[in-house]
Amino acid sequence: MNAIELNNLHKSFGELKAVDGVSFAVLEGEIFSLLGPNGAGKTTTISMLSTLLRPDDGDALVLGHSIRKEPMKVKEALGVVPQDIALYEDLSARENLVFWGKMYGLRGAPLKKRVDEVLETIGLTDRQNGRVGKFSGGMKRRVNIGVALLHKPKVIYMDEPTVGIDPQSRRSILDSVVALKNHGMTVLYTTHNMEEAQELSDHIAIMDHGKVIAEGTHDELVRLVGQSDRITLTLNIESARVIDLWRATPGVQNVTAENGSLTLLVDDSNLILPRLFEITALNGVRITSVEIQVPNLETVFLHLTGRALRD
Amino acid sequence: MKTLDIALKDLTRSMRSTFAVIFMFGVPLLVTGMFYFMFGNIAGDDGGFDLPVTRVMIVNLDQGSPDLQLGSSMLGQSAAQPVDNLGAIIVNVLQSEGFADLLKVTIAADAGSARAAVDENNADTAIIIPPDFSTQFTSLNTQSAQSVLELYANPEKTLELAVVQSILEQFMDGMSGAKIAASVAANHISGTDYALIGQVVQKYLAAASQRTADPQTYLTVKSVTEVENPNRMLAIIGPIMAGMMIFYAFYTGMTTSETILREDEEGTLPRLFTTPTSHTTILTGKFLAVGLTVLVQVVVLIIAARFIFRIQWGNSFYVALIALGTVLAASSFGIFANSLIKSSKQGGIIYGGVLTVTGMLGMIKIFTLSVPNTSPMMETVSLLVPQGWAIQGFLQNTVSAPSTDVLLTFAVLIVWSIVFFSIGAWRFHRRFA
Repeated sequence: MNAIELNNLHKSFGELKAVDGVSFAVLEGEIFSLLGPNGAGKTTTISMLSTLLRPDDGDALVLGHSIRKEPMKVKEALGVVPQDIALYEDLSARENLVFWGKMYGLRGAPLKKRVDEVLETIGLTDRQNGRVGKFSGGMKRRVNIGVALLHKPKVIYMDEPTVGIDPQSRRSILDSVVALKNHGMTVLYTTHNMEEAQELSDHIAIMDHGKVIAEGTHDELVRLVGQSDRITLTLNIESARVIDLWRATPGVQNVTAENGSLTLLVDDSNLILPRLFEITALNGVRITSVEIQVPNLETVFLHLTGRALRD
Repeated sequence: MKTLDIALKDLTRSMRSTFAVIFMFGVPLLVTGMFYFMFGNIAGDDGGFDLPVTRVMIVNLDQGSPDLQLGSSMLGQSAAQPVDNLGAIIVNVLQSEGFADLLKVTIAADAGSARAAVDENNADTAIIIPPDFSTQFTSLNTQSAQSVLELYANPEKTLELAVVQSILEQFMDGMSGAKIAASVAANHISGTDYALIGQVVQKYLAAASQRTADPQTYLTVKSVTEVENPNRMLAIIGPIMAGMMIFYAFYTGMTTSETILREDEEGTLPRLFTTPTSHTTILTGKFLAVGLTVLVQVVVLIIAARFIFRIQWGNSFYVALIALGTVLAASSFGIFANSLIKSSKQGGIIYGGVLTVTGMLGMIKIFTLSVPNTSPMMETVSLLVPQGWAIQGFLQNTVSAPSTDVLLTFAVLIVWSIVFFSIGAWRFHRRFA
């Protein structure tokens, strides 16, 4: 069953089409990543799903509730971890959790019990009375996530939760995302980090310029570019003969020259590479650098847009 | 319930900010305190005026006059011998018990040592009575004969000089009066009937000398609290405290309302909007927080001023009413002003400008309190801003103005509040819809 369904969502800011007909579905209990560069429309999509922004057109259902017609039901059903830390820095971790718990309708003993549980989950029981403003970036991120867990939502949105933190805190957050999934939550995760999407996601939608340009599992997306490995080489001298011989080599699909380097799409780099060295040596040419890239989401994005994901 | 949660959260945050607490409570009390101690130090604890004791060095070189035979009993002395020396009378008067709190009199041997004592700061003033002092006095030639005293003083000791000068001038006035009396008597009686003329002069001098011995006759020194209004110092401090309180209440209203903008920029307001809490509840909570914060400030300041500065605010009910009007006006003014601002970055400049201009306009009434014949136009100008009405309300209370006047002021404050709040709330709702 779908936890989230987006149907042709549109949102423009003036002339800019931030989200342009986005549709996808997120299954219950899975981690679904929205992958794309900055400005692709990920946060605008999340903002509409959080009912912060009203779509110009289209609709979305969260656990069967329309974001247009039943925004309060949608809010009750989901937890939101915003991209920037949204906490009161002059309140303690516990005071923050108590306040946000009240905003989710929790009161009295159940609130206290739940705050204790969340503090335990995010590993800040010992620091619960410390002011958030004095916390490290990683600790703030953990409280930021903790707030979204207070009312035990079935769906949680996490908007680039690992931006600007140290590797240790990043690891901790990624582990906690997997833990949420293991507890049966549906996680909609936005990132521009290919490795995160690759590691966490059951399904991935790649966004660019407000549109979903590809969607599927990691393997399905990689198949979009064929299973080709990508070899980038540079030679000590230009040699048209070597390029022609490489093109004629079985297993080499394509050879392109750009900015002094040669890019080859090949079936299996392990088998082809020795043959490439042999051809260059026989023709008195020397390979000065080699870079091998097996297909990944970066390759997919490059293949689909002609740009690198980090551009 | 959520509205109250939001308001209490904001109130807690405000009270945890050292900067906010200083501006809410510290600065208004501090500024008023400065004025209080300025006037309070002059008035002293008992409201009395504490003059410094003046060190006077006297040299009496007067050789007396045989024509002057004053009965010593009439001068309040026990000596049996008549006194023929006016200089001695002056010394006697200045050494009397009546001036003991004001003057410390020392007799010098000669004029030079007396002047030297002043130069070396061993005395504040020196009085040098010349040898012919009495002779000149008894001369009936009013055209040429004059008794002259030399008063030598340290120019920095202005207050001490003024005290001694005041006493001597009074004494000399008495002497002059006696001389005039003698001249008149000489013109009406036989010019050779010295005994009768002497009696006239003696009676006059006796009366004058006895008056001189009473310092109150010569130094009419009243403390600030005794002038015209027995509650004069409080009459000054009360309006200043009211002005400071109102100025900073509006400042608090402005800065507390700014949290709406700051929370929007910091992401906590958008996050609140993702919780199952309506926009109306959230904004009402924020508005309530502004009102509660200003309320706490005004109540604390009113009570603190009552105990620290002993300010009599007036009838409690009407004070509460005007305080409520002030809280509502300050809060709604802050909400209104912030609703016109795009970001908190604009706030600093705009708050400074708006609060200074409106605050100063409102306080014209206080600035002109001690200025006689102030143009009524000035009062009208101060009522162009809500601060002016709030100040008027507190001033009306302190002078026990008719209740209808206070109620009218309260009503106007409520109207200001409704207008500001309506515009501000409407704009914020539209912004976050």
